[in-house]
Amino acid sequence: MNKASIAALAAIPLFFVSCIKDEPKNAECDIEAISLHLENPQRYFRNVGDTLLIPSEDRISGDLAFLIKTYTEIHLVPTTIQVTPGATVYLETENGEFVSFVNGTDVDFSDEQVHRFRVVSEDKAWSRLYNVYVKHRPEGAAYLSSDFENYDLDGTGKYYVWEAPSVFIDETGKSTWKNGNPGYKLSMSSAKPMDYPSTPVVGGGPDGSTCLKLETCDTGPFGRMVNMRLASGSMFNGVFDVANALKDPLKATQFGSPFTFKPVMLRVWLRYEPGSVYQDRNGKPVEGIIDEPDVYVVLYRNVDESGNKVQPDGNDMLTNPYIIGKGRLPHNLDADGSDLLTGNPIHGITSEWQEFSIPLEYTSEPDPDILAEEGYGIIISIASSWQGGYFKGAIGSKLYVDNLQLFCE
Amino acid sequence: MKYRIIALLSLLLPCCMLHAEQSLPSGGRDASWHKWGPTLGLKQGGFILRAGYVIGGTTPVPLPEEIRKINEFSPRGGISLGIDGYRMFSKRWGVSIGAHFFWEGFHTSADVKNYYVSYDEVDESSAGKPETKIGYFTGTNVTSTEMWGVTLPLLVTYCISPRWNVSAGPYMSCYFKQTFTGEVYENKDGVGYLRNLTPVGEKTFIGSDVETHYDFSADMLPLSAGVELCFDWKAMRHMNVFGKLDWGLTNIWRRDFDAISFRMYPIYGTIGVAYRY
Repeated sequence: MNKASIAALAAIPLFFVSCIKDEPKNAECDIEAISLHLENPQRYFRNVGDTLLIPSEDRISGDLAFLIKTYTEIHLVPTTIQVTPGATVYLETENGEFVSFVNGTDVDFSDEQVHRFRVVSEDKAWSRLYNVYVKHRPEGAAYLSSDFENYDLDGTGKYYVWEAPSVFIDETGKSTWKNGNPGYKLSMSSAKPMDYPSTPVVGGGPDGSTCLKLETCDTGPFGRMVNMRLASGSMFNGVFDVANALKDPLKATQFGSPFTFKPVMLRVWLRYEPGSVYQDRNGKPVEGIIDEPDVYVVLYRNVDESGNKVQPDGNDMLTNPYIIGKGRLPHNLDADGSDLLTGNPIHGITSEWQEFSIPLEYTSEPDPDILAEEGYGIIISIASSWQGGYFKGAIGSKLYVDNLQLFCE
Repeated sequence: MKYRIIALLSLLLPCCMLHAEQSLPSGGRDASWHKWGPTLGLKQGGFILRAGYVIGGTTPVPLPEEIRKINEFSPRGGISLGIDGYRMFSKRWGVSIGAHFFWEGFHTSADVKNYYVSYDEVDESSAGKPETKIGYFTGTNVTSTEMWGVTLPLLVTYCISPRWNVSAGPYMSCYFKQTFTGEVYENKDGVGYLRNLTPVGEKTFIGSDVETHYDFSADMLPLSAGVELCFDWKAMRHMNVFGKLDWGLTNIWRRDFDAISFRMYPIYGTIGVAYRY
């Protein structure tokens, strides 16, 4: 009896294991990749690899744009779509019906026409709509400006997004400034749009127009739990891969857009109110340190010697070896170039509006031919706490920004 | 599953009974009943002091399909000490009541797919209102629970043979302390993400070094009730070997708790030895 009884009782956990049910059908229905099978892709695309579009995984917006060269047109092209296993793809016809889409079917992408795809999950309970189109890359200009007057709530209505110079176009086919607001939403899902780190201030500009306010904000209990206790207000061009914002926040901030001119000077109006208590990553107050804002502009080679894409992120946006020119607000730096958190920090930036000029210094001259072929990328980045990427700064630091201009040769 | 366990245990009975019959002492059946019955006489009562090892889990029944794989299971605590008072009304039938103090629990790691989560993020240092997180998680979920308390069973006892008792009946448990904590992170294949609000919402990847822990201890009910089944084998004149199963029939969660979308029940087995008088 003894042994049998022990065996019977010991078998209880095994019962639970044996009770595992059949795997449920997938409820997800994402486009994981979409590709255009062109015979001579280099005629249309700057990089051949751009015929394959892998949507960033955080987005709920279904706009997917292939960016092609200016004077080309893609007509009927075999298209394949890879979706979540088990999901099915439907394409909207001219009369609004969705018909089953077979991979390899020709799709006419001429005149930037938008095709609506519906992806239905394996369990048939969920679906997502995607707008897929081909868009011409905007032509570069030797002068960029942004007065932050054009903004709107994002698709979820949670936070603001700002229109950016057209060359900062992304895979959704839109040109918007990126910032940490989507990351802040992860931690403070009940926050109102004006509670976010990056917000507009109507009438707050030096000329009475709308300006931009970047504020270092407390990320609340969730931020404390994941030890990302503050969010610096920020504004940059590139991609913010929100899906990886918790897993690898520095890497999730991917800077840069292709650029065809040699930038020489960034001009921007700023005013700054540092928060009262500087804190380290663990939220401990650090005496004697005053928070500083950050503004920088960088030009870098965007492909390496073997043709791979160079992608500066939060780890190396100022130190990547492919950077050839940069300009930055003055800071106190250690001998090795790392950030020194003491000394006179603010360098003349006050709570009164002033215009700042930030010239670029080059370690080597950009090659004009490579420039013309979009072989360089530009980064423009602004933050209310210069150490905000490492979750250090003073909660309540406010950087007001207006009339940003970039001058090129 | 309940029926399967009972069926399994009842299958074991005949062979054990055979063994018991063989070991009957000489002197006839009645002598045997007297030898193994209550000390003061066949229709009298007595008490039993029990000490046992507890193993089991607090689990949804049946396991929801979102749970794909149990990676790890280890017991926590596992001590039960108790006393039963019993009274026999005939040679075969009697009743017992008891008080069993226990410390039981477990730790488990399970791979889940599209597992609904919803909880409020609150902590003492924030004056603001709680942040509610709702979403669907795919990855590894690690859970630990421990419970300290006392179980009060009211059982009917049937003597199958002079040396074999089976008891069954309802019980009520009262908890002095309970914990239910856990963490979610990526599984061994590097998959770990939360989708916001719905299975088609924004994805957030959760790495293994990000601390995303939860603590639902305060959402547990202090009482539970269920049924107990206990087998006693009289190994010596005053010593029993016993195996029992406590199957909780009430949800461990408070009614307004919705972080976990299914009901969970404590199901714990005990094996041990008892002093019988």
